[in-house]
Formats: sequence, structure tokens, C-alpha cells
Amino acid sequence: MDVTAQLILNGIMLGSMYAIIAVGLTLIFGIVRVVNFAHGEFLMVGMYAVYLFNKQMGLHPYVSALPVVVLLFLLGALIQRFIIQKLLNADEHIQIFATVGLSTALINLALILFGADLYSVNAPAARQPVPLGSFNVLSGHIVIFCAALALVAGLHMFMQRTALGRAIRATAQNRYAAQLMGVKVERIYIISFGLGAACVGLAAALIMPLYPVSPTIGTYFVLTAFVVVVLGGMRSMYGAFFGALIIGIVDSLSGYYIAPDLKEVVYFAIFILILIFKPTGLFGFGRGTE
Amino acid sequence: MRYLSELTNPRVYVALAALSLLLIVPALIGSAFWIHIFVTICVFGALSTAWNIVGGYAGQLSLGHTIFYGLGGYTTALLIQHFGLTPWVGMFAGAAVSVVVAVGIGYPCFRLRGPFFSLATIAFLEVIRLLVIHFNGLTGGSAGLIVPLQIGWEWMIFREKMNYLYIAFGLLLLALVVSLAIRNSRLGFYLTAVREREDAAQAAGVHNAQVKLYAVMISAALTSFVGAFHAMYMTFLEPATMFSLATAVEVAMFALIGGLGTVAGPLLGTLLVVPIAEAARGWLGASANGLHGLVYGSVLVLMTLTLPGGLVGTFGPRVTAWLDKLPGARKRVDRDPPPLRKVAGTKGEVVLETRNLKKLFGGLVATDNVTVDLKRGEILGIIGPNGAGKTTLFNQMSGFLKPTSGTITVRNAKGEMVTPDSADGFARLGVGRTFQIVQPFGKLSVIENIMIGAFLHHPHVEDARASALRVARLVGLEALKDVEARNLPIGDLKRLEVARTLATEPSILLLDEVMAGQSQADTQKMVEIIRAIRDTGVSVIAIEHNMHAIMSLSDRIVVVDSGKVIAEGDPKTVVTNRKVIEAYLGEDFANAQGL
Amino acid sequence: MLRVSDITAGYGRTTILDGVTLEVNAGEIVTLIGSNGAGKSTLLRTISGMIKPKTGSVTFLDETISTLTPDEIVARGLIMVPEARQLFPVMSVRDNVLMGAYHPVAREGMEQRFEEVLDMFPRVRERLDQLAGSLSGGEQQMVAIARGLMAKPRLLMLDEPSLGLAPLIVAQMFDIITRICSMGTTVLLVEQKAFHALKIANRAYAMENGRIVISSTGEGLLADPHVKQAYLGI
Repeated sequence: MDVTAQLILNGIMLGSMYAIIAVGLTLIFGIVRVVNFAHGEFLMVGMYAVYLFNKQMGLHPYVSALPVVVLLFLLGALIQRFIIQKLLNADEHIQIFATVGLSTALINLALILFGADLYSVNAPAARQPVPLGSFNVLSGHIVIFCAALALVAGLHMFMQRTALGRAIRATAQNRYAAQLMGVKVERIYIISFGLGAACVGLAAALIMPLYPVSPTIGTYFVLTAFVVVVLGGMRSMYGAFFGALIIGIVDSLSGYYIAPDLKEVVYFAIFILILIFKPTGLFGFGRGTE
Repeated sequence: MRYLSELTNPRVYVALAALSLLLIVPALIGSAFWIHIFVTICVFGALSTAWNIVGGYAGQLSLGHTIFYGLGGYTTALLIQHFGLTPWVGMFAGAAVSVVVAVGIGYPCFRLRGPFFSLATIAFLEVIRLLVIHFNGLTGGSAGLIVPLQIGWEWMIFREKMNYLYIAFGLLLLALVVSLAIRNSRLGFYLTAVREREDAAQAAGVHNAQVKLYAVMISAALTSFVGAFHAMYMTFLEPATMFSLATAVEVAMFALIGGLGTVAGPLLGTLLVVPIAEAARGWLGASANGLHGLVYGSVLVLMTLTLPGGLVGTFGPRVTAWLDKLPGARKRVDRDPPPLRKVAGTKGEVVLETRNLKKLFGGLVATDNVTVDLKRGEILGIIGPNGAGKTTLFNQMSGFLKPTSGTITVRNAKGEMVTPDSADGFARLGVGRTFQIVQPFGKLSVIENIMIGAFLHHPHVEDARASALRVARLVGLEALKDVEARNLPIGDLKRLEVARTLATEPSILLLDEVMAGQSQADTQKMVEIIRAIRDTGVSVIAIEHNMHAIMSLSDRIVVVDSGKVIAEGDPKTVVTNRKVIEAYLGEDFANAQGL
Repeated sequence: MLRVSDITAGYGRTTILDGVTLEVNAGEIVTLIGSNGAGKSTLLRTISGMIKPKTGSVTFLDETISTLTPDEIVARGLIMVPEARQLFPVMSVRDNVLMGAYHPVAREGMEQRFEEVLDMFPRVRERLDQLAGSLSGGEQQMVAIARGLMAKPRLLMLDEPSLGLAPLIVAQMFDIITRICSMGTTVLLVEQKAFHALKIANRAYAMENGRIVISSTGEGLLADPHVKQAYLGI
């Protein structure tokens, strides 16, 4: 029983990491209506940035979160402005190929610049076990969990309480009507894509103390993030958050009770089943766009 | 003999000459390095050509196609290892496994749209790769599997590297021939139709899921053959390379770069990027690690921004025009159209009836207890204000919507009243419909659009073309027959909508606002065409806002408002009905006019 | 106030408007009627900058606006309430109405205008915290108009406000439109339900196949035999 409880706790910690990435993916899909196949590579770029800040300037990964978030926001905004924007009216397969191409290019660029070696930062404080009742959790994971909560809460406030947030929601729900209200939808798209990428920047800074970076790290995380997003109903960031926790728990439990190398099979199976049988997601958030 | 005589056609001899360079150039150079590059080109060209049948023709962007490549390789290698079976037989076993898996994946996934289909295929690829690693007793797990080294044609393993090239080239030719044959068959046209507009394809009687399954089965088998050969060529299999996502993406990107949905595109795309990457890898060695991927990715992004049609989509028409100036070029000879399908049955009998049809959308009642009969050989007009539920009624009559309650039955060839269970089933029973919001296959020419309808009763391409041409002449689209549908103005698109439906040679014709956007003269002509069709025994239901037209056209009129039938009868009586005037102009108007 | 001069417009290569000319003077209610597919909505979309005219021009308060973007046109007080309401379905009614005042020009005095608009639509006030998508058709239409009024319109264009509404609600709707005009906002009204819309109009136009075919006073158009013919084919 204790093992199960510890596993569920681990799962929630793991899930909150996926949550931050998945919320970004949801923002981009929910508002710009583009599935960003290069999302994982944004994470990879962010992690290398954190690594470089640490190595060159001695910044702690958590401190480098600020510049990396800004950097990723700019990266996302530029990609929206110069690539996705031009393809908004193109066929869907062209949009898919554009982000897939971007993903391939970024992975291989990293391979040229850094090689296939793993790089990590030295941040021992993040790997301290912290006792939580009778259980143990890594301090870095607690930070991630709190950050995920803060991110969702912060985005919620931004979306609900500010005029810009309202305009973003309006654009997501009815682009035509938003335009009639004087919203510059192209600018909204640039901001939204930037925000989605910035979430990954935050994730990069928090993940770096725990995981080493390599050119293909993004694929590893983002496939899971896609599972989460589909589970959460594709467009709802709250759905993405809870979906991430569920996948984290599934990951943790199936790794222990089934087989460590089959845990991905379990949640990919869930992914396929949800896609096919309940495309609005597990919680029915799918119809909304919040 | 018919095929041999085609050799004097410049499109054929130039293509063959160009293809033979794939053998001649490396044979002349003779270095193992160059032979390797050409084997790689043939392998990826064949993979990409096979992928294109699903990704291009059917528009289903699979990013998990290496599933079939890997299954082909593994099945073949395991059969050699355990049963000493020659790969020439093993590759067919691999293909059989792949086809079964393809159906298992395709059937549930084809209902997914765009990026979600792609994601699901990636997920399947990951699952299969992980399973192959997990069951290491059978597959060797992540450590991999070495193909037993038996040399000779029987084992597909050679010292003389040219032999590999012969086989790779043969596989490429096979893929190209299959791809070309599909392109020029009913299946090819249907796949394009399904890709462009699922609804319109269904209305033309196409069973969407079935044609997509055919495509994925053929594609999986071809991909699997190549996988089997490539495994023999490399003599080593590991899950990371046999079930590689990166390779799956590359195969798709070559097709896009060359031209999605074209026969030559995938090979051209491969020819453009593979040699650069392979040569760079050969010359620069490990320092070029990642360079080829960077080139692929960047070229892909640039292509989407600058030449979304790919090389063939952009330059193809110019090249074919040039080829057709060479000696031996063929002119298309139009054959006589096949005879029209005869409408059997007695005039005046009921051919379609609805009973208490009710359709709810959430809380909204779109059709409310509608009971209508259509008799053989009559023109029934349906009128009513905007939002009255006319199109919803049509969608139920043609099987596109299932009624919440109530029934629709259609008379079949045996004279029984039946309810088909799908929209394409309605079409095959002879219910032809147009869409109010036109649904052209944008990238097909006018004549090809009409052919999609004609294929329902004329499976041969030339018959379908001749029959389509007859319809084009009838509705006045003959002069525009080679124009791409997306370039037509709305009036012509409306007529194309009618033409595609007429080409299915329906016995019941449902027309949804086909007069809108037509000039006065064209409207008159359309009225005459519809009358002429009725006179051949076809029954017609027309929704129309053009009151002049519908009044003069209809034998009988049904008025719908807020989902209900509020009046029914001959045109003269109906328009003087007070309820009808209220529905159109408001109660006060009726009062003011003293009606 | 608004002058549409000889515009042609359409989507892609298709032409839907074929040389349309019309005028709206300050303080008027002008009604445009016509059957489905006549080009009424396309005309409104062209005026609000969603579609660029191929030829001809639109001027508003003596300024050419046919080259401006939709948000620049909104800033000048030319506001459209689109056909079929086009609300933001999973936003609260309050947020929907406030979205009307999104443009910086309209944010000034937003709170006060919010109260005024709600006074005009007590039903909307009752529903402020509900999701817009959960309202009835009539309520949604009121939210759409309220949202339009929040944008500080000088000229309000209403595209088929009576579409899909029960007769009683339709009558209310036209009362409200008359009231909006009497409070100083010019109105351009597009309708299929011709009678009411013509009754309250100072002037009216009838459109067919992308052209204006009759222009007259509201009562004049109502008496025109052509109108009845166009609608009923008799």
C-alpha cells in the first residue's frame, strides 16, 4: 500500500512536469489552431540555453528561468510571425510539414553544435530527497509541482482578468467576431505562440537540474505531452493539467507493476483509445477553449 | 502489344531513359561508395513512392510508415533465422503481416483528421518499436538481430554490390508502376476525391473508409518489400533503425519536396536531397553528423513557404507540355460515351418517402415530424425562409444525417422500400444530391470532378471520361473541362455540382439551391435541363430561393418553416396560402395586404 | 455619413457584389432587403473591412475606409453586429459584452456605457455570469447588439437580427433598433423579414444578384409590387 502511495506521489510529481509542457502545447493548439510538432524541440533549445547560462555565466538553472522564458517567447513569436502566419490559410498537411521540418532541423542543428553527448548542470539542491510524511520526494520535483500550479493559476488570472486575455479567448472561440471587435488577430496569434513556447522555457529551466539534455530529449517529453493534451481535450489548459497528472500516475504505476520498458506502451494505448473513442478528451473540456 | 506500342510515347520513353540512369551512372563509376548512394536513392525513392499512395493520393499523413518497413525486415530475417526460408518468400510473409497490421491501424485511425491522424501513427510506431524491444526473446530486443550470412541470389546477399542495385531498382520500378496504375484508375480518382472532400465523395457513392483501406494495404505491402530488402542489404536489424520515427518523417518529406500526390514527385524529392546528404556524410564523416537532417528540415520548411506544391506540382505541367512536343506524342481520343443507365419502374409510384422525420440539434428542432412522398417522374419544390430546416431535411434524405426519430425509405431496383445505412449507400441506390455550399474537388479539373460521379456506374477511366464529357456538354461546362475547379466562379461551381451529381445517373435527384448565383439565362437553361432529366423518369426534389424558377419548375411544392411542413400543394395554391406569406414576409404584412 | 460607391467584391475569383452604390445619412435607419444569396452579408463584410473591394470605394465621415484594416474601421465607430450573432460561446455574457469595448478608442467611459447598455437590455443584465452559448436565440441576439453598442458606434450595422427568433421577440428587437437610432446612433439594417424592417426604415434598398435594384423610402418599398414578387414569385 505504501509502495502504491509513493508511486502515485511520484506520478503526480512527474505529471506536473508534463503539465507545464502540455499547457504550452494547448495554448498554441487552442488559439492558433496549429499542432506544433516542434514543441519538444523548443524544450530542447530551452534546456541547452539553461545549460549554457549555467556553464558560461554560472547561473543557477532556476535563476536562468527568466532569460530563458523571454528567449523562448521570442523564438515562438518569431516562428509564428515568419513561418506559421504565412501558412494559416494553407492546406493542413503543409502546416504539419512546416512544424515537422522545423523539428527535424532543430534536432540536427543541436547535433551539429553539441554532438550526441548528454550534458547536465550541477544543481545538487534540486536532487535532495524531502520527507513528506512517510514518503520521500525530490526537492526539484516539489519546485516543479508548485511551478505548474502557479503557471495554471497565473494563466487563468491573465486569461480571465485582463483585456488581452479576454481578447485571446475571444479569438480562440470566434476569430471572425473577434476581428469585428477590433482585435488584431495576427498579433494575438504571435503572442499566443510566444506564450506557448515560453511555458516550455519555464519547463526547461525546471527540468534541467534533474535530466541531462541531448538533441532528442524533446521527442521524449513531447510525445508524452501530446498524450496529455489529447487526454485533456486538446484545447483546455485545465484539462491538460489534470491529464498530465493522470499520465504521470499511469507512467509511475505501470512502470512498477507492468514493466519499466512498457510504461510508454500503456499510455500510448490510452492515447490511441482516447483519440479514437473520445476525441473531446476525458473531462469533456474539449468543446470549450479556456 | 498495347503496352509495347506505348514505348513510342515521349512521356514513356523519356521517363524510362531517365530511370535507366539510376543503373547506368553507378555502373560507369563503379565505386562501392556510389553504388551505395544509388541503392539508398532507390530504397528511399521506393519507400517514398509507396508512402505517397497513402500520404499523397489519400491525403492521410502517416508519420509511422516505418512500421511496415520494420515488419517487412524483421519477418523476413526471422524466417531465415528460424526456418531457413529464403527472403524472396519471406518478404511476402512480411508483406502479409504488414497488410494485416495496416488494416488494424488504418480502420480506427482514418476517422481522425489531419494532425491527429499523424499523431496516432507516431504513437503506433512507438508502441510497436517498444514491443519489439520488449519481446527480446523473439526479436533480439534493442541489441538487434544479425541476418545469417549466406551469400547468393537465393539469400539476397552479395559480394558484388551491383546486384543489390538491381534489386533496389526493381523495387523502385515496382513501386512506380503500382503508383502510376493507381493514379490512372478509378481507385486513384476516388482517393483524390476522398482527400479533397469526404462529403462530396460519399455523395458520389464512394465508400470512403474502403478506398482508404485499399490504399494503405497496397502502400504497406510495398513498404514492407523494401524493408525486407533493406534488412538483407544492411544484414543487421535493430528496433531504433527499423522502426525509426526520423526515417518515417524523411520518407514523407521527400514526397512533399518532390510533389505530394504525383507519380514522379517522391522519387524526384529523394533524388534532390539524398545525394547531397549521403555525399556529405561520405566526405565529411562524423563531423557531418546532423548535417543531413538540418538540410532536410530546412529544405522542408522552405518548400512549405515557397513551393507548397513541390517540384512536380510546380514545374510538372511545364515539363509534360514540353514532353508532348516530342515526336510520338499522343492526342487524347475521346470515345463514345457508354449508354445511360435506364430508370426503370412505373411513373407515379412513390420512390422516396419520409415518415415523421424529426431531427434535434441539442435543444433545437431542425425538422419536426416531416412526412413527404416523392413520386417517380415528378419535380417537387421545397421552399421556406432561411433557417427553416430545408437543408437538414435533404441531409437526412441522402443519408448524411441520421434522423433522431422517424424513417426514410427509398425504392431499390427490385421495387422494395429500403433504408441504406450510409450516405454512399444512398448514392449507390440512385439518390444523387448536390450541396448548397458547393463541394468541388478543388485540385481536380472540371472533367475529373464530373468523372468522380461517373465512376459510380462506369468503372473504366475512359468510359467515365466519355460519360462525364456528355454531362459537361449538357450543363454547358464543356469549354471549361480542363480548368481546375478551384478557379471557377460561383455560377460555374453550382453547375459543376449539378454535373457531378448527374454523372452518377441517379433515379432520384436532390438539388439544393442550384439556381443561386446563376444569370437569368443560365437559370432558364437549368430549368430546361431539370425538366429534360425528369422526362427520362428521374424524380427531382429542388430546394430553391429563386421563386420564379421554382414556381415554373415544380409539379408540387412543400413549404417548410421552423422545421415543419406548413403547406403543400400545387404552386399557385401554395403562394396564396396565408401561412406561407406570413412565414416569408411576416404576419403584419399579411394583415396589411388583407389576406 | 456612409457612402458606398460602385463596389465589386467577392471571395477569391468569384464576384458577389456587382457595382453596388448606397448611402446612409446621419440619424437614419436604412434597411437593405433581399433574398438569400443576394449579397447583403458580403456588402456588410466589405464595409467593415473583412473583404477588400476589387473596385469602387467606401467612405465614412468623408474618409476613404476601403483601404483600412477591420480594427481601424472599428476605431472610427463603424460597427457591425454579424449575422447569426457570432458570440464567444464559452465566455460569460459579461465578457462578451465587454469584448465590444476592446478597442482602445472604446475603452474610455467603458464602465458607464456598460451600465447604460445593460439598462437597455435588462435580460442581459440578469444573465451576466452565464456562458453566452447557454442563452436562448433572442437573448443571444441582445447580447450581440449590446456588444456592438459597447464599441461606441456612430453607425451600427445589423445583419439579420431577427434570424431564427420567435415573432414576439422579433417585434421587441425592432423596437430596440428604433430606440438605438433615437439615441443618436445611425443604423444600417439588413433583413430578410422585410415587413418590420421596412416599417421602421427612413429609407430602404432592395438587392438582387449583387446589385441594388430599388431604392426608396421604407413605405415606398413596402408598396412596391416587385418586392412581393421577389419574395413569393407572384
